[in-house]
Amino acid sequence: MEARLDHSSGEIRRLQRCISDLVGLLALPAIWTGGDVTLIGRTLLDALREMLDLDLVYVRMRSPSDEVPLEMARVVADRGLPTSATAIGDQLRGWLGDGMAVAPRTVLVTIGGQDLSVAPLRLGLQEDLGMLVAASRRPDFPGQTDRLLLNVAANHAALGLREAHLLAAQRRLAGELDRRVADRTRELARANAELRNEVAERRAVEDRLRWEERQLKQSEARKAAILDSALECIVTIDHEGRITEFNPAAERTFGYARDHAIGSLLADLIVPPEQREAHRLGFVRYLATGESRLLGRRLEMTAMRADGSRFPVELSITRIPVDGPPSFTGYLRDITERREYEASIRRSEAFLAEAQRLSLTGSFSWRLPGDEISWSEQLYRIFGFEPGSAVSLERIASRVHPDDRAVLGEMVLAARTSGRDFEFEHRIRLPDDSIRHLHLVAHAVPGRSGNREYIGAVQDVTDRRQSELALSKARSDLAHVTRVSTLGALTASIAHEVNQPLSGIITNAGTCLRMLAADPPNVEGARETARRTIRDGNRASEVITRLRGLFSGKDIASEPLDLNDAAREVLALSLGELQQAGVVSRLELAEDLPTVHGDRVQLQQVMLNLVRNAADAMAAIEDRPRQLLIRTAHEGSDAVRLMVEDSGVGIDPEQIEHLFDAFYTTKEAGMGVGLSVSRSIIDRHQGRLWATPNRGPGATFGFTVPCLATGRSP
Amino acid sequence: MNQPRSLVAVVDDDESVRESLPDLVREFGFAVEAYPSAEAFLAAGNLAETRCLVLDIGMPGMSGPELHRELRRRQRAIPVVFITAHQDETIRPRLLAEGAVECLFKPFSDADLLAALNTALRVA
Repeated sequence: MEARLDHSSGEIRRLQRCISDLVGLLALPAIWTGGDVTLIGRTLLDALREMLDLDLVYVRMRSPSDEVPLEMARVVADRGLPTSATAIGDQLRGWLGDGMAVAPRTVLVTIGGQDLSVAPLRLGLQEDLGMLVAASRRPDFPGQTDRLLLNVAANHAALGLREAHLLAAQRRLAGELDRRVADRTRELARANAELRNEVAERRAVEDRLRWEERQLKQSEARKAAILDSALECIVTIDHEGRITEFNPAAERTFGYARDHAIGSLLADLIVPPEQREAHRLGFVRYLATGESRLLGRRLEMTAMRADGSRFPVELSITRIPVDGPPSFTGYLRDITERREYEASIRRSEAFLAEAQRLSLTGSFSWRLPGDEISWSEQLYRIFGFEPGSAVSLERIASRVHPDDRAVLGEMVLAARTSGRDFEFEHRIRLPDDSIRHLHLVAHAVPGRSGNREYIGAVQDVTDRRQSELALSKARSDLAHVTRVSTLGALTASIAHEVNQPLSGIITNAGTCLRMLAADPPNVEGARETARRTIRDGNRASEVITRLRGLFSGKDIASEPLDLNDAAREVLALSLGELQQAGVVSRLELAEDLPTVHGDRVQLQQVMLNLVRNAADAMAAIEDRPRQLLIRTAHEGSDAVRLMVEDSGVGIDPEQIEHLFDAFYTTKEAGMGVGLSVSRSIIDRHQGRLWATPNRGPGATFGFTVPCLATGRSP
Repeated sequence: MNQPRSLVAVVDDDESVRESLPDLVREFGFAVEAYPSAEAFLAAGNLAETRCLVLDIGMPGMSGPELHRELRRRQRAIPVVFITAHQDETIRPRLLAEGAVECLFKPFSDADLLAALNTALRVA
């Protein structure tokens, strides 16, 4: 023992160093905690080479993640050893054989002339974790201390590696778990997404269904509203002819409640019994052949109400375009009112035709510019044309009296150009040479695209015209008789008044001559009778003066008067008489004629007198028209003039100075008073009355009346 | 002129006629009496002597034709020459038919009157 205590101080230092190295090795596991295999290998190799002054240290470790083992090595340079761990591994297998870990013994090899002791150590039982190889040129290698340190290092490394493997396995497992969780999470997420999509799709489908349902409801509501508010009866039936819809109008019209109607056979409900068989056959035929006389057409038939009463309906049937057995909708309208209206129109037309016949009035329409003319039957009768035959303007003109054709032509032209309404009278000559007077009134109706249509009536006024003529003649005759009797009375009165002194003059003159012719002459008697002659002459003159006074004795009633108006009135008064006498009269009145002051009645008497004289002067004229013209004109600046011009027998220039003398006349039945009285009237108006022969046939009588400054038109 | 002159009566309401006409008739050589009315003539009582009447038709009171009828009624057929200032030609044939000798319209010529008077006196 003591001997051993005498161990050299070198041995003690070696021991101390060994303990220090052991402590160093024991610290390694603390470094390795949580580290991987590579960290263990690297720190192990570094620590062993330093501690044991090794020329080569090599470690091969099973990789936790790989089949290929991890090889690491540390070598001292320039000793002829390979540097890469793999090459060193190969070299070591050459030295130790494949089973180097099975027989862990120290092997002596020579490299570069130097001996190298190689010591292999297992890591773990049967090298399951790998192996550690340490080599040194030291001759005592591996000594006791070396072995101790290498074994401790190998054991610790094995523990560390096992721990690292476990950790790696844990990490791998944890990673796997994470991966699986992640995979599962992904799967779940995908499933979730799919589910969500499915839900969304389902919701969309539901929405769509709900929308369609809403549309359907709206459509139903609309249909119901249409059905309810329709004025027409709307009835639908199925392929058996059973009613499936019966709207309120149908309820009102037929008198059945909808509930009662629905499900009933249409034929039983509204088709009158006698028509049911035809209805049924038609229905059967349609179902069998698809052939229908009713579908898509508008037809009229008789329908029956709940109370059995019949009424006319207009019916149209359509097939409802749906799949499956056919069903139909019928639209029915009660046309009782329309029928009545039509009947009323027919009655009106009949009345009109009858009225036209009775009133001898025809009607026509004349469309421009094509001259399409249509006539009522009565108009054909009036014109003596075959009813319904084509009418043209030429054909009409052929009937018109030759004297009136020009007027017709003018009216047609005016109608074409002006488009104004027109009205005129003309005569037609029928084939039997009878003359009819027609009164035509036409009213323009504007048509499309600027066309025009005249609607008019033509009345046969022949009877009226003849009555008027007769009446006019009667009136004229009456006027004439009145005039004659008035004038006759006047004449007789005047004649009596005048004849008395005339008679005295002649008698006295005759007596006077006889007395002077006696032997001896009775001068005294003659003187007396001559005196009486003068006296009677004066009496005659007094009569004339009295006569003038009779017409103009009263003061003239001075009033403002328009000579044109007065002339129109006079002509109007005389028109019948003039027409009767075959005189065509015309007015040519000056415009802006100043107002005159005078006695309207007296001035009109003068005009009337001139007009009648003119008519009398033309009575015997046969070789030329009997024309009378009344003209008014300005006479200088302070008078107006009225002239009556005729185409009569005219006046002898030599007679002119006597014309206005009382009792001077050129007429067989005349008295010679009119012009004399007229002159007195005009004289009293401070005017002038004169007469002048025309350049052509006839004469002109005229008078002037001054227009007072105050009486002038402004 | 020696033989008794026939009496001609002039009946007229017009004074100038009663003045002038008798002078002319006297110049013809007849005796003349003038009366202003038919009543005055009848009242004068010269019916028997009067050979001819120159009688105005229209007079106040009894007219000429009425006097004519009255005379016939009394069967005093004195020839009558009517004179009148009225120009009514239609009256002449009627008066002639009733028996008048003539109807003269004033103014008439002295020759016409003389002829009428001569006719009347011949009738008478």
